[in-house]
Amino acid sequence: MRKNTWTRKLAVAALLACTVLVTGCGSGEKKKDSDTIQMTNVSYDPTREFYASYNKIFADYYKEKTGKKVEITQSHGGSGSQARSVLEGNEADVVTLALAHDITLIEDQGLIEEGWLDEFEGNSSPYTSTIVFLVRKGNEKGIKDWEDLTKSGVDVITPDPKSSGGACWNFLAAWEYADRKFGGDEAKIKEFEGDLYKNVLVMDSGARGATTTFVENGQGDVLIAWENEALLTLKEYPDDYELVTPSVSIKAEPSVAIVDENAKKNGTEEVAKEYLQYLYSEDAQKLIGENFYRPSNQDILKTFGETFDLSVEMCTIDDFGGWDQAYEDYFADDKIFDEIYSK
Amino acid sequence: MREEMRDRGRQDGLSPKQGEGGGEMAFGNGDGQKSGQKGIVPILLIAVGVLFFLVMLVLPLVEVIYRSLKDGLESYMNAVTAENTIAALKVTLIAAVIALAVNTFFGLCASWLLTKFEFPGKHVLSVLIDIPFSISPVIAGLAYIMTFGRMGWATPIVEQINEWLGTDISLVFSIPGVVLATIFVTFPFVSRELIPVMQAQGSKEEEAAVMLGARGLTIFRKVTFPHIKWALLYGIILCAARAFGEFGAVYAVSKARGKTFTLPLEIDALYMAGSADSITQAFAVSSLLVALAIIILILKQIVEYCGKDNR
Amino acid sequence: MYVEMKGINKNFGSYEAAKDISFRVDQGHLAALLGPSGSGKTTILRMIAGLEQQDSGDVIVDGNVVNHIPAKERGIGFVFQNYALFRHMTVFENIAFGLRVQKKGKKEIRDRVMELVELVGLEGMHKRYPHQLSGGQRQRVAFARALAPKPQLLLLDEPFAAIDAKVRKELRVWLKEMIAQVGITSLFVTHDQEEAVAVADEIMIINEGRLEQMGKPVEIYKKPKTSFVAQFIGTSAVLDDFDGFKGFEEVPKGRKAIVRPEFVEAFKNDNEKVRSLIPAAEKGVITDISFRGSTLELTLEVNGISLTTNRSLERRHVEIGEEMCVLIYRAYILEEDDTTVYKNQMLKGVDVEAL
Repeated sequence: MRKNTWTRKLAVAALLACTVLVTGCGSGEKKKDSDTIQMTNVSYDPTREFYASYNKIFADYYKEKTGKKVEITQSHGGSGSQARSVLEGNEADVVTLALAHDITLIEDQGLIEEGWLDEFEGNSSPYTSTIVFLVRKGNEKGIKDWEDLTKSGVDVITPDPKSSGGACWNFLAAWEYADRKFGGDEAKIKEFEGDLYKNVLVMDSGARGATTTFVENGQGDVLIAWENEALLTLKEYPDDYELVTPSVSIKAEPSVAIVDENAKKNGTEEVAKEYLQYLYSEDAQKLIGENFYRPSNQDILKTFGETFDLSVEMCTIDDFGGWDQAYEDYFADDKIFDEIYSK
Repeated sequence: MREEMRDRGRQDGLSPKQGEGGGEMAFGNGDGQKSGQKGIVPILLIAVGVLFFLVMLVLPLVEVIYRSLKDGLESYMNAVTAENTIAALKVTLIAAVIALAVNTFFGLCASWLLTKFEFPGKHVLSVLIDIPFSISPVIAGLAYIMTFGRMGWATPIVEQINEWLGTDISLVFSIPGVVLATIFVTFPFVSRELIPVMQAQGSKEEEAAVMLGARGLTIFRKVTFPHIKWALLYGIILCAARAFGEFGAVYAVSKARGKTFTLPLEIDALYMAGSADSITQAFAVSSLLVALAIIILILKQIVEYCGKDNR
Repeated sequence: MYVEMKGINKNFGSYEAAKDISFRVDQGHLAALLGPSGSGKTTILRMIAGLEQQDSGDVIVDGNVVNHIPAKERGIGFVFQNYALFRHMTVFENIAFGLRVQKKGKKEIRDRVMELVELVGLEGMHKRYPHQLSGGQRQRVAFARALAPKPQLLLLDEPFAAIDAKVRKELRVWLKEMIAQVGITSLFVTHDQEEAVAVADEIMIINEGRLEQMGKPVEIYKKPKTSFVAQFIGTSAVLDDFDGFKGFEEVPKGRKAIVRPEFVEAFKNDNEKVRSLIPAAEKGVITDISFRGSTLELTLEVNGISLTTNRSLERRHVEIGEEMCVLIYRAYILEEDDTTVYKNQMLKGVDVEAL
């Protein structure tokens, strides 16, 4: 009989918790106290550390400027996956993704207004990066350039272009190399990519996942990585890895945008705009450089000459006809990537 | 009619003892030795079992604890009390408690329905209850998004309800989403524990109570519940264990760290954070889950022990 | 008129459990529903209780039609086959259950329970749990529990089925006394005819959902109305065409007949006492001998028909294949709804007992 009342009390308590939560959730999610503004930034995989720091300096800046408190919730994952989650209801006020195409996906569904690309400077890219190789100390396999990745016995780690933005940049950088090497012979280029992807040991869903596989899980001989990922790893484990810059790479332009529909609904339009604009400020640009991203501000970029190899030969997405074209040609279903990978 | 059938069995007069002699013969081997009772085979089996247990369970657990303390106790405490960790712990507990309450209630109802009544579609209900067991949690999460996500088919209905109630509840990428996903994957546990017990019990005691004038709720409280008490507790414990550890389904519907992350998701985030520190932090937070698991195991042992006494 | 069933029908799918059952049991009587397994007798009991609902027909208790009154409101005591005691409650709590439901006061409950505990002879055991009691003791608790809320009717479903043979006899007597003492109208179900005959005031023979016959035990035994009843009660041979036996010339031809063992006697050919009766005797050959605990049961083939008779162990040894003189004293001849006793005309005036 004792146990009877005991379990019943538990049940009542649980039911109470339930009701409190449901009502709490409904009203509480957006406004804790009326002074703190809640904002969500849906970003891609490697930017975790950067935005953790950036959100702090932005909150200070915003508090000073407007007296209001702002709290930013971060979400990270493969760029493509993140874009899809926004489409499925992840209520992002801003998106800071790996490539313009992912943002276009959201625009196509009507969540972002047209013309977002020009809303901020530099095609809405406050920072850029490029693609490099990360190898283990000693570089036993003697990786120097893209073609070394196609040799047999070399295990490559790179993420999946279907979900990761960084993976797309990786693929295109390799393509550029092969294009130059084989003088535009598409058959040979495809074969080159095919050999490279045959050597891929593990394909993660995001760039950060790939880094974790290579570093913490010790898989593979070479990681095709965002430059910022590689530099971050070197910072953490200086004695264990080496960075190898390939002869040619691609200028990767991660883009940012306000998700207009959500921002309107949440009343965060103004904050969101400030948030993205502030990325271009001097303080922010410095922070960007410190986090191993290339600031879009050329002057500040030059001050980071020690960190970045500024002389790397880079092509751009325009060489591929812009992201809409490039994605359609290479990464859409049954297009070139699928063709190569399934052979 | 069933009683009549049982009568027939009893009237047949075959006592259980009559079959025993033959059975004994079948167990020994041809030359009449009592082999299989001693000898190498049991020892081997035990050894394999213990080895398996050690390698798959004990070693990883020890590793988690060891790695989490690698940077010292202070760093451990910091990791365990970090803002994101506490937030994740809260979400995990909330989801678990609600899932427990809901599944206990519905589990009881479903078991009661399935064992005491006959109705068309009984088998269908039984199968439906077991679905969360058979499908991968990730699929469950994705299906959930398909249904309640921005482009889901049930979303207009949810929005309509929100309008009526004047609330703004979203069922994906939010705590209700996490809770619902957890409820889904832990749903069968309670009913699966209850159904065999209730079936074995039969309904005679309930009928006796009916004839003595008792109402439904009284019968449940005084007659049915005492029998299923321990099975119910056991089911609840299993439910809790599963709820704490759920990753796949919750991962699909939860993207906001510090807001809608559960402990498993937080651990994943820490692990993916890339720095040597955060790896240790990941293990530290993992040890929280291990602690929860150990608490559950102890509770389970207590329940089993007390349950045995009460038979 | 206390309990009555009128035109009750019940089917479980294609299985007909009750076909046009009608009977009544008067106030204070103890009646038995007797029949083979699967005959539907338990279903009938459950329909009176309200645990099953009839397809058509009325259940009437004390003049009121109770068809639509749910089981828990019918005020009927029920003793289940395997007692269905509440396993996790003490004897006291079990008996008190019905009273608690009626929301009686603590003192009233205590008094009534202890009264019943004494009545059923379980003094000092009221704190025990069912698993600490023997079968017979549990039976008595079940009985007390059913009686506690002072029901108007008591139903018992095979109350002795789960009890050892020896204890069974004692309990039977005890139950009959108890019920008489309490004075409550009771109905019980059994497949054991010995039990029914020993305990009940009236017996209702149920077969395949039909009420074959209702009446006092002796009546049923002596005047079976249907061949089923005749066969079911007592051991007997059913003869399809009773014809050609000496002394039974006035029997209408072509009828079914029942010949009970006690109507038949077999003697060795050289038995002095029956020499004078040999003209009235048939010739029979022993085809089977069984030991029945206190007598031998002989199966004899007489005129191509198998008859059984009992033979005291005190008499001379007989063997299979032996030819005997067989005297048939009487037979029941089955007509439309009735049976008639026909006596062997050739044995008139003979004192059967003395032989």
